[in-house]
Amino acid sequence: MKDIRVELNSSATAEIAGNFLPKQNLYGAGSSLEFPTLDNGDPYVQLNYDESWGPRMDGTPVRQVFSFYPQDPTYGQLTPFVPHPDNIENYYETGWNFNNTISVSGGSENTTYRLSLNDTRIEGVEPNTHLNRNNISLNASLDILENLRVSTNINYARNSAIRPQQGSEFGVAYVNQWFQRNLDMERLKDYQYDDGTFLHWNLETPNSETGEIDDFEPLYWNNPYFEAYENYSTDNRDRFFGDVSLAYQLTPEIEITGALRSDMYTQNIDDRTAFGGKDTPGYFIGKYQNKEMNYELIGRYSKKFEDFSLDGTLGGNIYNRDYTYLSMATVGGLTAPGFYNIAASIDRPDVTSYKLEKELRSFFAMLSLGYQDTYFLDASIRNDVSSALPEDNNSYWYPSVSGSVVFSEFFDSETLSFAKLRASYAKAGSDLSPYQINQVFEVGNVYDGVNTSYVPDNLNNPFIDPSFAHSYEVGTDLQFFGNRIGVDFTYYVQKNKSQIISLNVSGASGYGSSTINAGLIQNKGFEISLTGCPVYNEEFRWDVLFNFSRNRSEVVELSPDSDVYPYDSSTYSSVTTYLNSYEGKPFGSLVGQAYQRDEATGEILLGDDNMPLYTDATHDFGTVLPDFTGGFQNTISYRNFSLAALIDFQGGGQFFSRSKQLGVRTGQDPITAAINDRGNNVRDPVEEGGGVRVTGISASTGEPVEAYVDARSYYRNVVGRRIYEEWLFDASYIKLSEIRLGYTFNAEVLKNLPFKSANIALIARNPAMIWQEAPDGIDPSSISTGAQNISWYESGQLATVRSFGINLNLVF
Amino acid sequence: MKNLHLYSLLLCCLFFSCSEFEDDINVNPNLPSQASGTQLIANAELYLPGLASSPKGEFMAQYLAETQYVGQSLYPEESTSFYSYYQGPLMNLQTVLISDDISSLEGPVPNQIAVAKILKAYFFWNLTDRWGDIPYSQALQGSDNLTPAYDTQEFIYTDLFSELKEANAMMVSGDIQNEIIYSGKMEKWRKFANTIRLFMALRLSEVDPAMAQQEFTAALNDGVFESNDDNLVFQHLAEENNQSYWYDQVVDSNREWWALTEDLVEEMKPVNDPRLEVYGNPARASGDFIGLKFGEEDNIGTEEFSLLGSAIYAQDSPVYLATYAQVLFAKAEASLRGWINEDAEMNYNEAIRNSIMQWTGSEDGVDEFLAQDDISFDADMGIEQISNQRWVHLFMFGYEAWSEWRRTGYPNDLEMPNGREIPNRLSYPENESFNNETNYEEAIERQFGGDDSIYGHVWWDVD
Repeated sequence: MKDIRVELNSSATAEIAGNFLPKQNLYGAGSSLEFPTLDNGDPYVQLNYDESWGPRMDGTPVRQVFSFYPQDPTYGQLTPFVPHPDNIENYYETGWNFNNTISVSGGSENTTYRLSLNDTRIEGVEPNTHLNRNNISLNASLDILENLRVSTNINYARNSAIRPQQGSEFGVAYVNQWFQRNLDMERLKDYQYDDGTFLHWNLETPNSETGEIDDFEPLYWNNPYFEAYENYSTDNRDRFFGDVSLAYQLTPEIEITGALRSDMYTQNIDDRTAFGGKDTPGYFIGKYQNKEMNYELIGRYSKKFEDFSLDGTLGGNIYNRDYTYLSMATVGGLTAPGFYNIAASIDRPDVTSYKLEKELRSFFAMLSLGYQDTYFLDASIRNDVSSALPEDNNSYWYPSVSGSVVFSEFFDSETLSFAKLRASYAKAGSDLSPYQINQVFEVGNVYDGVNTSYVPDNLNNPFIDPSFAHSYEVGTDLQFFGNRIGVDFTYYVQKNKSQIISLNVSGASGYGSSTINAGLIQNKGFEISLTGCPVYNEEFRWDVLFNFSRNRSEVVELSPDSDVYPYDSSTYSSVTTYLNSYEGKPFGSLVGQAYQRDEATGEILLGDDNMPLYTDATHDFGTVLPDFTGGFQNTISYRNFSLAALIDFQGGGQFFSRSKQLGVRTGQDPITAAINDRGNNVRDPVEEGGGVRVTGISASTGEPVEAYVDARSYYRNVVGRRIYEEWLFDASYIKLSEIRLGYTFNAEVLKNLPFKSANIALIARNPAMIWQEAPDGIDPSSISTGAQNISWYESGQLATVRSFGINLNLVF
Repeated sequence: MKNLHLYSLLLCCLFFSCSEFEDDINVNPNLPSQASGTQLIANAELYLPGLASSPKGEFMAQYLAETQYVGQSLYPEESTSFYSYYQGPLMNLQTVLISDDISSLEGPVPNQIAVAKILKAYFFWNLTDRWGDIPYSQALQGSDNLTPAYDTQEFIYTDLFSELKEANAMMVSGDIQNEIIYSGKMEKWRKFANTIRLFMALRLSEVDPAMAQQEFTAALNDGVFESNDDNLVFQHLAEENNQSYWYDQVVDSNREWWALTEDLVEEMKPVNDPRLEVYGNPARASGDFIGLKFGEEDNIGTEEFSLLGSAIYAQDSPVYLATYAQVLFAKAEASLRGWINEDAEMNYNEAIRNSIMQWTGSEDGVDEFLAQDDISFDADMGIEQISNQRWVHLFMFGYEAWSEWRRTGYPNDLEMPNGREIPNRLSYPENESFNNETNYEEAIERQFGGDDSIYGHVWWDVD
């Protein structure tokens, strides 16, 4: 009977939103420095403006949005027009994360088992957001006969959530982009009056006769609290995954294993657009089911001769994927307030049923040879047959070979305690998702009984080939002074040949993109890892770990039709930015509108109105990918204490920030209310010493110009709308990503307690950005929005979350 | 049992090739692999209202002024994409035209082909008028040509004339099914094809008057619109999937962003134009029709000015694309130019009558309207009067009115926002500069000396 081991791990963490974009607090909502007035002479806030180019927030009594709601205590009253500097911060709450895991393991002579249960509950920093997770896993094995073992590994994972929405148009992220600096978030928090009327801030202009608002439907934005509590989306997922395998030891050298692996989930998503907001009410529901099965049969031979070791594997695998979903959305509104159901759709609901099936059949063989524990050679070959490839070209082979020498075996050195050299070549084949071969049509709108059909935008390719990644790698692993100093270095070149991509093509061809085999996309770079233990004695130990890596990516050859790989694009207010890769240049160029510049001097060219001129969105600003990334970890242990700190860093790379750009365009950013070099606010009239100072060269006369221009026209219509060059930021940073202080209890202390070991730790995650090149309020370490594979623009970034918690680990 | 089967398959795979799957495993069960000719044509027709319903077009003709977020109406130098027309309606139509298995169950095949040809010509005509030279003869070939060259506008016009004549010639008796605009009635399509030729011919009045006259009279002889019943109108429906663009903007998106321009109201209000009540709503503050000066940035708002008319942004509003009144204005102009031997005044009066009937649904007030000094026809100012009235008539098809402004110079009192002139074309999609670099550069070099500006002149705009 083996020991039964019980382990408990518990943590509680507080999450705090931090790192907000700075805002100006001098000017409030509107489009001009003067308030409009009602017929009775009362000035009022321009409720239909989601910008802060309005009057000074100097305490002038005005009719604010609340005063137009008859249900509001301030109805009809004038209240002071003052800034609410923390209105955005005020929206966020303290979030909590509770995580508990208990595991039991043990076994007997012919059995082993481990059972683990986890419960995680997260309350987000945004109101009405949460994520609950549970995991159960069981690993067990049983020796049925001496040479026959059955083992299994079964996992169940469930989660359910209401998540914060991200992106510029959703949830609350818009407030950094379109908002009024005078709004009191605390007042917006009670978003519904007793009679059911919702409180919003962005309303139509009051009726000029009555001075009342006729329609309280918000114009462009909902109250953020309405978004959180009424317009939410829920999701949940039940996932089972695991395997069962049967291993039979035929002879001491030969083992045959049959395994069945499965991964399946059911996911439910629903989304509501509530009554009383800016949008037509609606409801969406979807059920997504995925089932992946692997059937594997492997024969393994392993044998050790005197100096030789030999391992051979021969196997086959069948992979099968079955994915379906049903999704439905109401169209044209809902018939009954508060009834969120497809049956309530006013027009015929939009229904989608989807099915995907794919099969991959593989055969593989591997051989490993070792000699004197010094020389090693591995080779493999694999054949895949994919149902997603064209029938006559669906089988592809790919080999790998690698070798290594532990050359420290050749000499006996105190200094160099271990040394290994390795080199490898591997080719990896891959296919594509199903249904990208044959011509299909899409089902279009039905118009009064006339049904329509259309040609899809992507051109499928019946001649697609499998793609191959060729990796060449050399590396070394060195340990000095009995492992006190270690160096691990790898240099690699990866050549992706005939990679399957959807290449954007000229729409004039009739298609927006075409599935093709790209010529050659190459990655190369190195990774270095240094470990050290500068101090080491019985009571004190200091460990250092330093990682550094650098990768260069390039489209070497694309296709006969094109030398530009347009990877992604983003359009706002009819202005587009692109992420393109050009043949022969580093991967991932950010392309957009720049200043037009004088060729001779490089000065900005100005139009006759002294506003800067801009290029088409074809200016190449260079790659967005970083020059290098890395981490630096220090761990100090002193007696029972241990203190660890992890620093992450990145050098180079760049991104475009839409939040910063729009903050400027909408008059929220501090530069839109700065003091100019004449000592006046840039928003003061130019003729009274205000305005933004611009210098450059007149495009029409060629003469140098120094002038002052109206701040709103400059920031709102030109720089904040069209000149993306201003909103590109270097992505370099150094970040303290974790600090952990732990204490392990001595065995003597635990003697009278039921624990075998106990550890308690204080953990701070993401506590501070030590340095960043980009402006405050934008976190360059997490700029990815939604489904971007390459982080290149930021828009409506979620608030940075700093978390501080305590962790307890007990073993019984 | 199933697993046993799989393991035997596995074992077999170890020794034999097994690249055979079930036949339909890679056939997409989620999308049809076939589409009928009329389904593709009908889908292309769904793009027709988009030719007109665009704020940018209304700004080009200065029908509408911005009440908030003034920007787009200041004529910024920016590119406008034409890709959606190629990828959308044109590719659907091209698929019909090159197909060899169009089913005659949905009407005579030649008629399906003829309608596809006519619609394709109509879309291409709109495109070339906006951008100038565009990919045409090498376009829509998919993987056979991913970088189509730009044809000259002159070539495109010539070819469109012959395509439309060919469509006219190939029609046989028998309507087609599943068609939105004319319920498949081929006589209507025939008249529409000839009407397009008429309008295209008129467009060439400055660049090639001889050809213009020849094509104009040929089109007229082949038979053009004879009443408002022949109009090419896209009728939106009172449901979300087929609702009008302006309903989506004004009602669904709460965007009361467009007021009638001062120029338009000043053209209509002094002569009590009965169409004004349809075009706009009275200003909420005064109850009166007050236009907003085009390009005005400071003195703007939703209360003081006449916003876009309720009927225009109704969910099921019609979108007028080619109309009988335009035919009559064209004939009036052709009479004045001496191309045809007809009475210019009569055509002018009938044009206005039919326009008012089209917009208001009644003839009420037409005679009083025509009797006014400023309206009654004066042959000496004929071209100007015809052009100005055509401008009033073409309301909400700004792009077409803008083309006519570029051709005739009327109305001649439009605004220059911040001193900027009205553009002469749309700038090409900027991604053509990397998706189709060589051909794009060649096209802008050939036409505009290398500058893809909104101030370049297209071929027929000889100015």
